[in-house]
Amino acid sequence: MRNFFLIIRKYNVFIVFLLLQGFSLYLLINNNSYQREAVVSTSNEVVGRIYVAYSEVSDYLKLGMTNRLLAEENARLRAGDSSSFYRMSILKTAVNDTVYKQQYEYITARVINNSVSKVNNYLTLDAGSLKGIKPDMPVISSNGVVGVVKDVSPHFSTVMSALNSNTRISAKFTKNNYFGSAMWLGGSPQIGVLNDIPSHAPVSKGDTVVTTSYSKYPAGIMVGQVYEVGQKGVSFKDLKIKFSTDFQNLSYVYVIRDLMKAERDTLEAKTNTEDVK
Amino acid sequence: MLSELIIQFFRFFILLFVQVLVLDQIEISGPVNGYFNAYLYILFLLMLPVNINRLLLLLLSFITGLSIDMFTGTAGMHASACLVLGFTRPGFLNLLAPREGYESTLRLSVQGMGASTFLVYTSLMTLLHHLVLYLLEAFTFLNFFDLLLRVVSSTIFTMLLIVFSQILTQRSRELEA
Repeated sequence: MRNFFLIIRKYNVFIVFLLLQGFSLYLLINNNSYQREAVVSTSNEVVGRIYVAYSEVSDYLKLGMTNRLLAEENARLRAGDSSSFYRMSILKTAVNDTVYKQQYEYITARVINNSVSKVNNYLTLDAGSLKGIKPDMPVISSNGVVGVVKDVSPHFSTVMSALNSNTRISAKFTKNNYFGSAMWLGGSPQIGVLNDIPSHAPVSKGDTVVTTSYSKYPAGIMVGQVYEVGQKGVSFKDLKIKFSTDFQNLSYVYVIRDLMKAERDTLEAKTNTEDVK
Repeated sequence: MLSELIIQFFRFFILLFVQVLVLDQIEISGPVNGYFNAYLYILFLLMLPVNINRLLLLLLSFITGLSIDMFTGTAGMHASACLVLGFTRPGFLNLLAPREGYESTLRLSVQGMGASTFLVYTSLMTLLHHLVLYLLEAFTFLNFFDLLLRVVSSTIFTMLLIVFSQILTQRSRELEA
């Protein structure tokens, strides 16, 4: 027993090193678990406030660009509004809308922290569970996909950006329905790849790529445009895409709430469990 | 003694804020994105007194790393890399020690150690820290050669900033004297 204490005294530095190192790696590996919430989230409010103060300054520098993007989006929305269509029919009926039931709601949020230079990039938004944001909700900008909500605190939420080695976005072409998965392999924050497109699919540079409804996003949201067409092996194309979202200049984003998500999830879960049996 | 404590305290916060609010916000467009990430905050650990208690050094490394982790949302990553730095620092310093050993009042800076020894010391420690950090970050991503390239290019960037900060502080000391 005495020897045991002697050993501990002799190697105390090494033992403390191993203990702390073990704790760090535990935090790192259990990236989603309760421990991370407990250790990191308590401070998240403090950290969040510092980032809010920072972005209040930096937002001014981006005002011009932000205004232009919002104006462009307004123009697009105005063009789609019913008042900008000429009524071709003389029939007038009261519309009790049973044909269209609202499926998506949009929550606006401001980006208060953002990175593009890491292997796994995240954004922080100034809206959290109090505004109805929950993990796994998709996030878009006025130009296209941004990412998926990862963690939520009462006032803030973190978003796993499309510029993250773990992100896969199910995407298809607008001109035909060949679909694959879009991802980012590091390097330039504007360029990603589109995998799993068969080599016989007719694809040319500049083709528009949008989301499918197979993953968390609603269908038809802009992902980007084909930037380079190559050939990978015999059966697949090697496609590079240019993201439509400018990740280096994000100020405001929309978090999408799918009002029919619960219904779809229960149905799919039911099918999957029956499959196992 | 007290003034030394205050200096260390301020150095910690200044480096933390420079790291989080300036260096982490640098974004370089194009294919070199991700190759030049500077982590200047380790200068705090590198400049702690030479005869600091090893346990205290480990504890400070852990706290420094975890503070950065809280801002970047990378729980444990910087803490782990800093711990490796804190654990190996006395060994590196012994390697570079003059024959009669260090004086306890020696400052770990360009003036204290001399330019060449200081550069060797800081660049080796920076290289080690960045290597551990990038290995932890990558885990399964990107190939190893690319990772090494990122480590070396980021080390160069960090070293430039360390040298720059030394020049700045040296000038201000000369003015005071």
